[in-house]
Amino acid sequence: MFDRDTEGVRIELRSLTKHYPGQPAPAVDNVTLDIPAGELVVFVGPSGCGKTTTMKMINRLVEPTSGEIRIGGQDVLSLDPDQLRRHIGYAIQQVGLFPHQTIAQNIGLVPNLLGWTADRISARVDELLSLVNLEPSAFRDRYPRQLSGGQQQRVGVARALAADPPVMLMDEPFGATDPITREHLQNEFVKLQKQLRKTIIFVTHDFEEAIKLGDRIAVLREGSHIAQYDTPAAILADPADDYVANFIGQDATLKRLALMRVSEVPATESPAGPGLPQVSADASLREALDTMIAHGADRCSTPAGVLTYAALCEAVGTRSGEQEDVVSSDR
Amino acid sequence: MNFSEYVVSRWDTLSLAAAEHALVVGIAIAIATVAGVGIGLLAYDAPKVRSTSVAISAGILTVPSLALLTLLIPIVGLGWGSTLVSLTAYAFLPIIRNTVTGMRGLDAATVEAGRGMGLSRTRLLLRVQLPLAWPLILTGVRISAQMLIGIAAIAAVVDGPGLGTQIFEGLSRLGSVNSLNATLAGTLGIVVIAILFDLFFFAVRYITTPRGLRVRP
Repeated sequence: MFDRDTEGVRIELRSLTKHYPGQPAPAVDNVTLDIPAGELVVFVGPSGCGKTTTMKMINRLVEPTSGEIRIGGQDVLSLDPDQLRRHIGYAIQQVGLFPHQTIAQNIGLVPNLLGWTADRISARVDELLSLVNLEPSAFRDRYPRQLSGGQQQRVGVARALAADPPVMLMDEPFGATDPITREHLQNEFVKLQKQLRKTIIFVTHDFEEAIKLGDRIAVLREGSHIAQYDTPAAILADPADDYVANFIGQDATLKRLALMRVSEVPATESPAGPGLPQVSADASLREALDTMIAHGADRCSTPAGVLTYAALCEAVGTRSGEQEDVVSSDR
Repeated sequence: MNFSEYVVSRWDTLSLAAAEHALVVGIAIAIATVAGVGIGLLAYDAPKVRSTSVAISAGILTVPSLALLTLLIPIVGLGWGSTLVSLTAYAFLPIIRNTVTGMRGLDAATVEAGRGMGLSRTRLLLRVQLPLAWPLILTGVRISAQMLIGIAAIAAVVDGPGLGTQIFEGLSRLGSVNSLNATLAGTLGIVVIAILFDLFFFAVRYITTPRGLRVRP
């Protein structure tokens, strides 16, 4: 199958359509989309726009009415659906762990189906539990009901990663947790994906989450029509139309500041005066701005020097100019 | 002769009748469990099959046991045949209904996750759905068993096996020697069998419920 490599492979959707019988309009209407290898692409849109249906056609939990899906060049619709699904990681909002099996059995399910030896599965389970920051010795023999919501979501992600699939489908996998846990899980997941470089399709209705996690975002409207497909920075700098602009909300510039790190902006070399508020190099520009406002200052000191308000504005201004070029050349 | 002397003197007859009583209920329950769970599995996801099978099994339960036992004589004969067939027929409703409820009550996310990870329908059924629905299915079997133990007493009118014979004999000779003892022995015997069946199902339930479903958060 397409998973000789465990790193991501390319996914191509061609004129993908799902028309449920008895419904006037197709749920997913003629979607064509390329997802580059190793990237995390977020499908974002209001509920009922067909984003989940589009995702579920990729592992054929929903059979397409027409169209074509290729993963790593291989035609998905010609494969056996059960075999196919064992090679695609799948994580959902409600997690869906098997309550009658231990955490180790839950995570080891797909490797077991693929015929791995018991020793290899056991080693893999420990590796994955460590990867999602759960102590293997404490968790492997427990049951899902003994875990908190956040812990269950981690196990859900570990289970999806179990057989090291090149492709993962994730449907709001952090949706059912409280905001603090969710942010924590998102941060960990960003780090994880930097190591793993899987091709991931991630569905959410939360634009903040999309910006935070996505290498690219596909903003979808009714019928899974693509309103805009681009990097988060480019979408924020230049929304394709009012629909996308509405979806972003009023604070696009602040959101763009959140995407940039203090270390990415050249600091002026002027010596840091005493009493200037401090920010760390890997803080976002948004956090830097917040620090400035909180201290009533127009500058703050960074490990590299001093960051001014003017430099902040310039960072957003210049970037938007650059990105307009990129976007227009893309079209 | 007081009651205990009666039981001691008729021990052979009584214990044989009690064993037959338990046996005929046990066989009927075994057949109805296999068939009923099978029907439930076919029916839970098919609305027409579901309503039909529940309606038929509920309809059977409305037929008075005396009538059903008698009506079956021309087809399966007196005694064991008629008793076994009627008891099996009466056992279906709780088993089918609980199987359907158990399967439909499963967390949709659990089933979807199983499909999404590439479990075939058969594996999903055997490894996930049945184990999770099992406690409820077993409750249905237990209810059926309790019901059948009572109904089996009526089987005496068609010369069926069991403790019913003691009760009916006693009642028909009420006032004569040992008539009350016979009735009492039959009735108490049935109560004892019912308690033993319940203990059995309690143990089976404990042993066969997956540990993950018993743990407290």
